[in-house]
Amino acid sequence: MGTVKLASARVGALSRAAWLSATSYRVRILVSIVGIVLSIIPIFFVTDALQDVVSDSINTESSQYFAFAVVGMLALNFVGTAVTILPQQISSGITTGTLEALLSTRSRLPVLLAGLAAFPLIWTGLRSLVLLVAAWLMGAEVVWSQLFPSLLVVLLIVLAHLPFGLMGAALILAFRTAGPLAQGVLFLSAGLGGVYYSTTVIPSWLQTLSAFTPLAYGLRALRRMILRGEPISAVGADIGVLCLFAIVLTAASSAGFVVAFRYARRAGTLTQY
Amino acid sequence: MVEMRGLTKLFPVRKNWKQILTQPFTSEMQTAVKGVSLSIARGEFFGLLGPNGAGKTTLFKMLATLILPDSGMAEVGGRNVVSEPDAVREMLTPVVPDERSLYWRLNAVENLRLFAVLQGLTGRVADERVQRSLEQVDLTETADKMVGQFSSGMKQRLLIARALLAEPEVLLLDEPTRSLDPLSARAFRAFLRDEIADRQGRTVLLATHNPEEALELCDRLAVLHHGELLATGTVSELRSLAGDDVYRASVKPPVGWTESQLWGREGAHDVALDPEDESGWRKLELRVPGGAEQAARVLAVLAADGMQVSRFEPARLTLAELLERIVELNQPRPDGTRNGADLALTEAVATVPDPDRSARG
Repeated sequence: MGTVKLASARVGALSRAAWLSATSYRVRILVSIVGIVLSIIPIFFVTDALQDVVSDSINTESSQYFAFAVVGMLALNFVGTAVTILPQQISSGITTGTLEALLSTRSRLPVLLAGLAAFPLIWTGLRSLVLLVAAWLMGAEVVWSQLFPSLLVVLLIVLAHLPFGLMGAALILAFRTAGPLAQGVLFLSAGLGGVYYSTTVIPSWLQTLSAFTPLAYGLRALRRMILRGEPISAVGADIGVLCLFAIVLTAASSAGFVVAFRYARRAGTLTQY
Repeated sequence: MVEMRGLTKLFPVRKNWKQILTQPFTSEMQTAVKGVSLSIARGEFFGLLGPNGAGKTTLFKMLATLILPDSGMAEVGGRNVVSEPDAVREMLTPVVPDERSLYWRLNAVENLRLFAVLQGLTGRVADERVQRSLEQVDLTETADKMVGQFSSGMKQRLLIARALLAEPEVLLLDEPTRSLDPLSARAFRAFLRDEIADRQGRTVLLATHNPEEALELCDRLAVLHHGELLATGTVSELRSLAGDDVYRASVKPPVGWTESQLWGREGAHDVALDPEDESGWRKLELRVPGGAEQAARVLAVLAADGMQVSRFEPARLTLAELLERIVELNQPRPDGTRNGADLALTEAVATVPDPDRSARG
């Protein structure tokens, strides 16, 4: 069996195990789905009330504030999963001994990390789809024909934020805490990425900081595609910047993780709290 | 199959807040494993015996490539654990002792199926290997049950099955019976002995602090204490090196006789006299180096002192007593030298079958 095929099988096996574990908690799954649908009801009324106030500032991305906010929430969900999942998985894996069992197999570390992150990201994708459908049923204008092309942007948003998760996992390996890294990334992404408002309305000095926030580019591209129906070629510049973030951050965080992994093997703390 | 030469691991001692503030740039190191050299043959069931904190788990984790040694060398099947960790994991699998490392919300088949794929098996081969592993550990009938509902013994067997999926040449078992009740532990040991060692003929390294477990299972033993290898050999060899100078007698001493009167005569030492039992006899224990002839001289001394002696024979130390004795012999003196039988014990590396191990054929 080819290396890529075997790596895919391993990622698939870890995802399947996570899926079976997750679905064994039936009530939790149900609450998760119902909760996400219910969460947009207040958003609907608040955005409806503010529609006239914000319509000018958001019109390059959407004509409707409700749809604008829903796509912002959806993207922030992906960012949240991307920055928290690896630190969580590594931390719980160390506590339970699962990490030791996984590292003792013949699978390579990057494959294991991909496998650990895959199901939570897929699950976030499913929840996001439910959120989008619920919003559409409540009147959000969604260009469904652009759903599949916009998945590329979602993937790039994830790839640009997973490195923060990898850095968090490296900190867990080395210091047993990731500190406020995930919260910091989420706070900055929510504040400067244009989740609930357009980045054009924030003060100019904050707009400078916003230029260093990957989510700002991702969200702009995502909204223009799925809410305004623009083709992928129209958002090429934003996609290019997002790719650059993904490449640079992945390289930096991978190097950091390798150093932390080696440090933990040296210090003897790789598999014990 | 497994070679270690001067394997050493030090861990930094964790500082308290006062030390962090007053001595921020100093670091104190604690020795977890110190210069361990061992050679384990293919197909051997080898025991690492030592109390908690002896360094057994650290040694295992170095072999499993999860901890990097500070110095020395370790090889599995000729592959270096530091420079060729992937190749080592192809041959060696540790049985992770923590039951929580299983996926409790999955059943046994699902658990094994996951790890079969992670070990590089897919399709029908993976299914067959899962089935075979379940049969080997006698869990076929409960294969569809959620692992969280398993007993500790069943979970331990599933941990073994998980390790067997890859059909490793070397299996590391770190105190596999520690969470089992005595009956389950006994059954589990029988499984290790009959299935893993005798039938499958795998090279097994067993870390345990339970001497009887080591005695029952292992071809050879290494005694580890505070990270140092104190002795290596079959139980018979260890006994002959460290425990064959202890004698026990049943005596009625003359009035006023004390054990200090015997100390030093004809080489007798460590003399201990118990109180009278119900029949009026007292147990005397002493050490007499020099074999049976010297013991006969001590017996003559006792007779000359007017001692009635109903029994005088070499003590057959239990493995726990033997372990205690080996540790005692290796206690450093104030001048830094060792006591008694010293490090020569570690040179005993013969692999002859051990007559003490009655359970295995």
